[in-house]
Amino acid sequence: MTVLESGIATAAKPAADGLAERRVAGHRRDNRTAYLMIAPMVILLTIFVIWPLVYSVYLSTFKISFYEEPEFVGLQFYQYVLESPRFWSSIWVGLYYALLTVPTGIVIGLLLASFIKMLSKRAAAFMKTTIYLPAVVSTVVASVLFVFMYQDEGVINWLLSLLNYAPVNWLNDPSFALPAIAVPGIWLGFGITTLILLAGLLDIPEGYYESAQLDGAGFFQRLFHITIPLLRNVLLYLLVTGFTLAIQLFDLPLIMTGGGPVDATMTPNLFIFTSFRDLTPYATSFSLTASLMLFLVLGAISLVIFRLVNSDKAIDG
Amino acid sequence: MTRSTSQRILSTALMALITVSVSFPLAWMVIAGFKGKTEVLRSPFQFFPDMWRWDNYTTILKDPQFMRAMGVTFVGALIFTVLSLTVNTLAAYAFARLEFTGKRFWWVYCLTPMFVPGMAILLTSFMVVSKLGMLDTMAVLIIPGVASSGQMFFIRQFYLGFPMAVEEAALVDGASRWQIFVKVFLPQSASSFVVMGIASYLAYWNAYVWPVLTITDPNLTQIMQFLGTFRSDRGNDWGLLMAGSTLASLPTIALLLIFQRFIVNGVRISGIK
Repeated sequence: MTVLESGIATAAKPAADGLAERRVAGHRRDNRTAYLMIAPMVILLTIFVIWPLVYSVYLSTFKISFYEEPEFVGLQFYQYVLESPRFWSSIWVGLYYALLTVPTGIVIGLLLASFIKMLSKRAAAFMKTTIYLPAVVSTVVASVLFVFMYQDEGVINWLLSLLNYAPVNWLNDPSFALPAIAVPGIWLGFGITTLILLAGLLDIPEGYYESAQLDGAGFFQRLFHITIPLLRNVLLYLLVTGFTLAIQLFDLPLIMTGGGPVDATMTPNLFIFTSFRDLTPYATSFSLTASLMLFLVLGAISLVIFRLVNSDKAIDG
Repeated sequence: MTRSTSQRILSTALMALITVSVSFPLAWMVIAGFKGKTEVLRSPFQFFPDMWRWDNYTTILKDPQFMRAMGVTFVGALIFTVLSLTVNTLAAYAFARLEFTGKRFWWVYCLTPMFVPGMAILLTSFMVVSKLGMLDTMAVLIIPGVASSGQMFFIRQFYLGFPMAVEEAALVDGASRWQIFVKVFLPQSASSFVVMGIASYLAYWNAYVWPVLTITDPNLTQIMQFLGTFRSDRGNDWGLLMAGSTLASLPTIALLLIFQRFIVNGVRISGIK
């Protein structure tokens, strides 16, 4: 979301500035009306987002337990989190999940979008709705549905048996559990990816492809020399948002595996969420700090990805 | 001629293949709802039920807890949708169309929450709502999520695109800002309200973690909370669970089908370029 919106923000800036100038020229300020209009939003955000955030940061510098008075400890918990192997292992699980889902989703989305672009208007409308269908299904329904499909006697093992493979104990095998969770993850998300890529594809002037075809460029040449460079911003947006969403995932594993087996599906947010509810002393302070740390780590990684993709000025569309 | 015919067959086949594989999990959920307890996970595997029986669907429809959860969630989602459109549209109009002291500061202030991950404030939000005595009320499900930076931003972008002339003419005629907002802007906002309204509705209907944390009263149990805790509450009755999941997904799928034109084009409006 971030990149999309900052992109729009810069695009919209000249318009907004022009607006401001005209207003100032007319000496018109509507303070009363404006404050009445933004008041509900400002008040709600203050109570339910800004204050909890400030309070989180404040609390993370205290040692909280049910048995003693809170004690100020400064940044001690930040150090504990950084030294916690479980925190780092959950970061790796999150990265692995992102690696499994984000590129796959984009490749599927690009293939489907290219296909839909070739269809007639009516067929395209039908396909767009079909592809969007999983996106309106709730994560809870998707979770229980895939747990059902992954059962020993379930439909997925049956499909495997048709291909002469032995059944797999999907959600109880540490090496299969995370990929098994990635499947519903991709299924829930690829519809939106496809529609966004399709919107991007439709903005590429047809003339580029026609002249490339005249020059004898094949499908892959057109893909790598026209489509991908011109979709660079869209792809960057999908990479960054996909990544930040993927690493924050926690409701699929919460319902499907509870983080197990042996922490194989313990994503960072699930780790934090389970330690919120942990009653051992200082678990609250620890998980609170971990959630703020993740916020920072996440921002840093997004920034690196953004820089990496953005550095290649040569293919600026 | 032959080439275009074969191409058409190929693309129709491809469309069928994509449709089947995308919707297979949902179809499987519906089919499982028609299976009896003994055949739903049977070895050797059986694709279709011996006999298509409605038992699971009628049982879950007669379950008072399930029906109450559907009803309470539906009412909550409607209230939530209306409230969030109201709050966010008002702010969006002010930021798009009015000049006021401190505008830049409040703009950044209202946009910051977009970058705050839910998990970083989950615990402290919980502390806030329990201090306010909101636990186990409809208010705790509805109010905290009403103000949405993303939604406000989207509607503001939409209003920025309106021509200035409309507003100036109305101002010259002596209309107040409120009148302009209600008479000029609101009537033209239908398409973005549909897109944003559906997003709000889905967010509320599909919510799971927040209800689980804040609601213990069985009269207020939300539908996803009901389904998410079904197996620990009632054991592995897969047929019944799949029937319930099917029915709980119907309202959202119906919304998609009714408003497909708006939703699918909405991706375009929310613009990436």
